[in-house]
Amino acid sequence: MKNRTFIGFVGPSLFLMALFIAGPLFSVVWQSLHVTQPVYIQVETEVCTPGFLSQKCTKETQTQPKLDENGKIITETKFSGFESYRALLKPELIFKHISERNWLGLTNIDFYKALRFTLTFTLITLPIVLVLGLMIALCINQALQSLRGPIIFVSLLPFVITPVIGALSIRWLFVGDGILSILLEWLLKREIALFAQGWTIEILMMSYRVWHVAPFAFIVFYAGLQTVNRDSLESAIVDGATRWQRLQLVILPHLSPLILFVSIIHLMDSYRVFEEVIGFRSEAHVISLQWLTYDLLTPDDTGNRLISRASASSMLTMIGIIFLLFFPLSRSWREHKLRRSG
Amino acid sequence: MKKFLIIASALTALFTSSAVSFAACNFTPSSKLTLLANSYAAWKAVSDAMGECGNFEAELDAEFRKKQPDAFAANPSLYQLGGISNSTIQPLLSAGTIRALDDLVAKYGQDLQPNQLIRINGQIMAIAMSVNNQHLMYREDVLNSLGITVPQTYYELLSAVDKIAASGQVDYAFGGTYKAGWNLAEEFVNMYLGMGGQFFKGTQPNVNNVMGIRTLEMMRNLTHYMDPEYLVADSTYVQQQFQQGKIAMANLWATRAAAMDDQKESQVVGKVKMAAAPYPVTGALPASTLWWDGVVLAKNMTDQQADEAFQLLMEGIDKEMVSENNDLAVWLINGYEPGPMAKGAAETAENGAVPYPNGMEMGLMHTALGNNIADFLTGKETADQTLKDIEAEYKTAAKEKGLL
Amino acid sequence: MSEYPDMPRSFQLSRSLKLLSNGFLSIWCLIALFPLLWITLMSLKYPLDAFSANPLVVIFGPGTKAAGASVNFFDLLMVILWISVAFLGIKHWQVKKNLGPKNLLYLGISIGWLFAVFVFAELSTSVQRLFGVDFFFTTPLVGMTTEHFQSVWIEQEFYKQFFNSLLVTAGVVSISLTVGTLAGYGLARSGSGWAFWILMIALVFRALPHSVLVSGYLPWFINSAEWLSPFFGEVAPTLYGQPWAIIVVLASINQPFTIWMLRSFFQNIPRELDEAARIDGCSHGEAFVRVIIPVMWPGVLTAGLFSFLLAYNDYLVAALLLDAQNQTMVPAISGYFNRETTSTDQVEAVAAAVSITAPIFVLVMVFQKQLVSGLTQGAVKG
Repeated sequence: MKNRTFIGFVGPSLFLMALFIAGPLFSVVWQSLHVTQPVYIQVETEVCTPGFLSQKCTKETQTQPKLDENGKIITETKFSGFESYRALLKPELIFKHISERNWLGLTNIDFYKALRFTLTFTLITLPIVLVLGLMIALCINQALQSLRGPIIFVSLLPFVITPVIGALSIRWLFVGDGILSILLEWLLKREIALFAQGWTIEILMMSYRVWHVAPFAFIVFYAGLQTVNRDSLESAIVDGATRWQRLQLVILPHLSPLILFVSIIHLMDSYRVFEEVIGFRSEAHVISLQWLTYDLLTPDDTGNRLISRASASSMLTMIGIIFLLFFPLSRSWREHKLRRSG
Repeated sequence: MKKFLIIASALTALFTSSAVSFAACNFTPSSKLTLLANSYAAWKAVSDAMGECGNFEAELDAEFRKKQPDAFAANPSLYQLGGISNSTIQPLLSAGTIRALDDLVAKYGQDLQPNQLIRINGQIMAIAMSVNNQHLMYREDVLNSLGITVPQTYYELLSAVDKIAASGQVDYAFGGTYKAGWNLAEEFVNMYLGMGGQFFKGTQPNVNNVMGIRTLEMMRNLTHYMDPEYLVADSTYVQQQFQQGKIAMANLWATRAAAMDDQKESQVVGKVKMAAAPYPVTGALPASTLWWDGVVLAKNMTDQQADEAFQLLMEGIDKEMVSENNDLAVWLINGYEPGPMAKGAAETAENGAVPYPNGMEMGLMHTALGNNIADFLTGKETADQTLKDIEAEYKTAAKEKGLL
Repeated sequence: MSEYPDMPRSFQLSRSLKLLSNGFLSIWCLIALFPLLWITLMSLKYPLDAFSANPLVVIFGPGTKAAGASVNFFDLLMVILWISVAFLGIKHWQVKKNLGPKNLLYLGISIGWLFAVFVFAELSTSVQRLFGVDFFFTTPLVGMTTEHFQSVWIEQEFYKQFFNSLLVTAGVVSISLTVGTLAGYGLARSGSGWAFWILMIALVFRALPHSVLVSGYLPWFINSAEWLSPFFGEVAPTLYGQPWAIIVVLASINQPFTIWMLRSFFQNIPRELDEAARIDGCSHGEAFVRVIIPVMWPGVLTAGLFSFLLAYNDYLVAALLLDAQNQTMVPAISGYFNRETTSTDQVEAVAAAVSITAPIFVLVMVFQKQLVSGLTQGAVKG
C-alpha cells in the first residue's frame, strides 16, 4: 500500500486521536512543568452574613485575583521545572522516613499510598482473574451443550453492565446492614462493619473487579480451548499423563498467548482503577493513582484547582503504565522486526 | 392493533407528563432561562416554583461547583441564574462573573427582607433565601428514659452518649457527618472555631496548636460512640440512621430536620427534638458555623434576560413557595414561620456561632483538613503529626496557587 | 461448540469431578447474577421492604403487599407470556438473521407490553374488581409495585435521558465505525513501520486514565464560542452541552480500541480477495468498496457493539460536558444519588439503575454470539 493511500485510510482516525487524545496529553506534559497563578491583590472587604433577624457584617482583608479591563483574571505562567513533581513525590520525606525505618509514615504520603494500593490491586487481582477465568472456561467446556449458551449469557452480564451501576449494586449489598454483610455476620457469628477499615474495603474493591473482569478472561480462554490440538491431548492420555499434567503440558502452553493478552488488558485497566474508589467511597482509607489526579483537579468550594500537580500526577501514572507495558510491547516490536525481515 | 397499542401508551405517557400548570405565575420569560444549583430539597422547591412560569430549566447537581465558575465565565454565560452558598459565591465574586443587583432589587424586590440582600462592599451581589447550620438533634424519649438533660457542652454530651451506649436502647449512641473529605473537614472547622481557634496567622496556616489537638481528640472521642463505618457517613446517611432509630443524637444540618418527622420515611416521628449546637468547652462559642444559601445572576447576559431572570427568581422565592415548603429549610423569606424544627438552628445562631470563614485560603485549608484527619481517627498518625501534615499540605497548595 | 458434536475423550470427567465442576459453575452463575437480580427485586418494593435486613422480606415484600401493591396469578401469567413472546422473537431473529414480518410482530407486542406495564396497576385492579380477591386467580401473592418505575419514567421524565442516550450512542457508533473501519483496513494491509507505531501508540492511548483527558476539555468546550469565533464568526457554537460534541469526543477516545479490533478482523480476510480486485485494475479505495465492504459486516457489527457499550456506559465524559437538558442516562442517575435524601428517592435511584441495565440485558441476549466472537477476535491473533 502506498503511503498516500495509507494516510487516506488512516487519516481520519489519526486526526481524531491527535485532537482529542494527543492534544490534551501534550498540554498535560506542558502544565506539569509550569505553574499558572493569578496576580493577587489584598482587598479590604465588607461581607455580610444573614442572621435570623439582622445581618452580621464584618470587615476583613481578602486576597483576590486582579482583573483586567475586560473583567478577566490576570494570570502569569512561569516555568517551574520539576517543582510539581517534587511536591507530589516529597523526596526529602522519603529519605527521612527510610532512615527512621518509618514505613507507616511512608505509606501515609498520598502518592505512595495511592501507588501502594494501585499496585497491590493490580497484582493481586491479576492471578485471581486468570485462574477464575480459566476454571470457568474449563468447567463450561465439559457442561451440557444445551446449557452452555445460558451460562455464557449469565457470565457476560457482570462484564457488560455499566461499571458505575455494578459498583453501586455491590455497595448496596454490603454497606451498613446490607443483605450480604448480614449474611457474613451470621456466618461468622460476629458484628462486621466492612466499610470501617481499609483492608476490608480493599477486599471488597478487588472482589468487585474480579466479578467484573473474570467473564472477559473466561470468554477468551473458552475460545482458546476450542482450538486445542486434540491429537496431542489424546497422545498425552496414551502416555499416561494425569489430568493435571495434561492441563500443565498441553492446554496451558496452548493458551499462553491468550493468557498474555488477558494479562496486558487487565494490567492496563486495573492500573487506572478509579470507579471503585468513587463507588465504594473508600477515599478515607485507600486511594488510587487516578483518583489522586481526579481529586487534585476537582475544584474546592472557593474554586481552587491544583492543575500543575494534577498534571504531574497523571504524568507519573502514565510513566507507570508505559513501564508495565514495556515488556509486552518490546516483545511485539521484536516480532514485528522478525516478520519484516523474514 | 399493536401499532394502536403503542401509540395509545405513548400518548398516555405524554399526557400525564405535560399536565403541568403555568397558573401560579403571571409572566413567562421571553427566552429560555436556566439555573445551576446544588441538589437538595430546598433547591428543588425553589426551582419547581420558578418552573411554574415556564421556559425555564433547572440543573440541580451536587457537583455544581465543578462547573459553575467556568460556566459563568463564558460569554454569554451558560446559566443565567446560579444557586450559591456563602463559600461557593467566592470564585464567582473574585472572577467578577456575577452581576450587581441593586437596580433590579429597586425595581422588583419590594417583597425582599433587608436580611436577604447580600452586600459586598455596599453592592447587592446575591439574594439569600435560607440559612443553615449544624446543630444538635436528639431522641427525646431516649434522653427522658435515662434521665439525661439536653447537653449544653461537649463534656456533657460525652457523658450523655456514654450513658445511652451503656443502656443499649439504640445501636449507636451518636451520629456524625464524618465522611472523609468535605464533611469531615467541616466537623473540624465547627469544633475548632467553637474553641476560639483561628485558621491563619498572617498568611501562615495555624492549626498545629493546643486547640487543634483538643479538637482532634474530641472528634476521636465522639467516634467511639458512632457506627464504625463513620468515614462514609454523609448527611443522608446520618439522617437515615436517625429515621431508622439507630442513633440517639447527632449534630446535623438544619435542612435535614424536617425529614425526622416525615411519616413515609421515619420510624421516630415526633421523637426527635432540636437544640442548639453544644459548646466545646463552657464559655466558648457553639461548635457550628453559619451558612446561607442564595441566588446570583450572571454578568454575561443581556439586560432583558437579567430583568426576566430576576423576576423569575422573585416568583421562585415568594410567599407561596415558603408556605408550601415551610419546614424544608430555615427560610429568610417573608412569610416563613419558624416551627419547632427551626429551634436548634435559631438557638445556635443566637448563642454566637460564627459565619463560615471566607476566602480562597480557607478553601485550600478545608481540602487539606478533609484529606488528613482520617489518618488520625484511624490511628495511623498522632494528632501532632496530622496537624503538621495539614499545615504542610496547605503550604504546598498555597504556593502552587501563588498565595504564599 | 457445534464443530465438536462429540465430546473429546480428553475433556471427559469422572462423576465426582463432574459434580464438582457443575457445582462450581452454578455458584459462579449465582455470583454473576445475584447483584443484578437483587437490585431488580429492591426496585419493585416500597422502601421499608427494600432496605429490610431480612432477605425473605425483600423477596416477598409483606410491607408492600400490606400497602396494597402486589402481584397475583393473573399478573404472573401476563409477565410469563410477555417474556416468552420476547424470547421467541429473539430466537427467531438469531436463526433467521433478518427482520421479517413475524419478528416485527414479536417486537411490536413486546414493546406494547412494556408500555402496558405503566398502566399495569389499572389493568390488574380491574381484573381484581371483576373476580374479587378470593378467587385464586386474583389472590395477592407477593408484594410488588411498579410505582418507582412509573415515577422515574413518567413524572421525572427519564425518557428524555433515554432519548439522549440513544442519540449519543447512535452517533458514537456510526462515527467510530466509519472512521475505525477505514483505519483498521489500512493498518491491516500496510506492512510499514508506521502502521506498527500507530498501533503501539494507540495501545498506550488506550491505557490512559480518562479523567486526565476529560478535564482538559472542559475550559475549551465552555469557551468555544470565543475561540471559534475567528472561524465561524457570529454563529460560533458553544460546544459545552452539545450532544454532537460529546459524540466526537467519545468516538475519538474509543478509536484505539476500535482500530485494534477491526485491524485483527481485516487481517482474517484473505489478502488475495482485494489483490485480485487490484489486478483487475481497481485502486485500493475501489477494492475496499467493491470487495471488502460486502464481507466486513460481521466484524463491523462486533466492533459496533463494543462502541455501543462504551458510549452507553460512559459516565465521566457526559457528566462533565453535558448539561441537564442533554444528559444521558448514566450520569443522570448520579443526580438521583446526590438527591437521595429520602428512602423513596433511593429506591427510585435503584429503579433507574435497573432501567439502564435492561437494554444491555436485551442486547447481550440478542448479540451474544457477536460479543463472544469480538472478545476473542483480538485475542486469537495476539
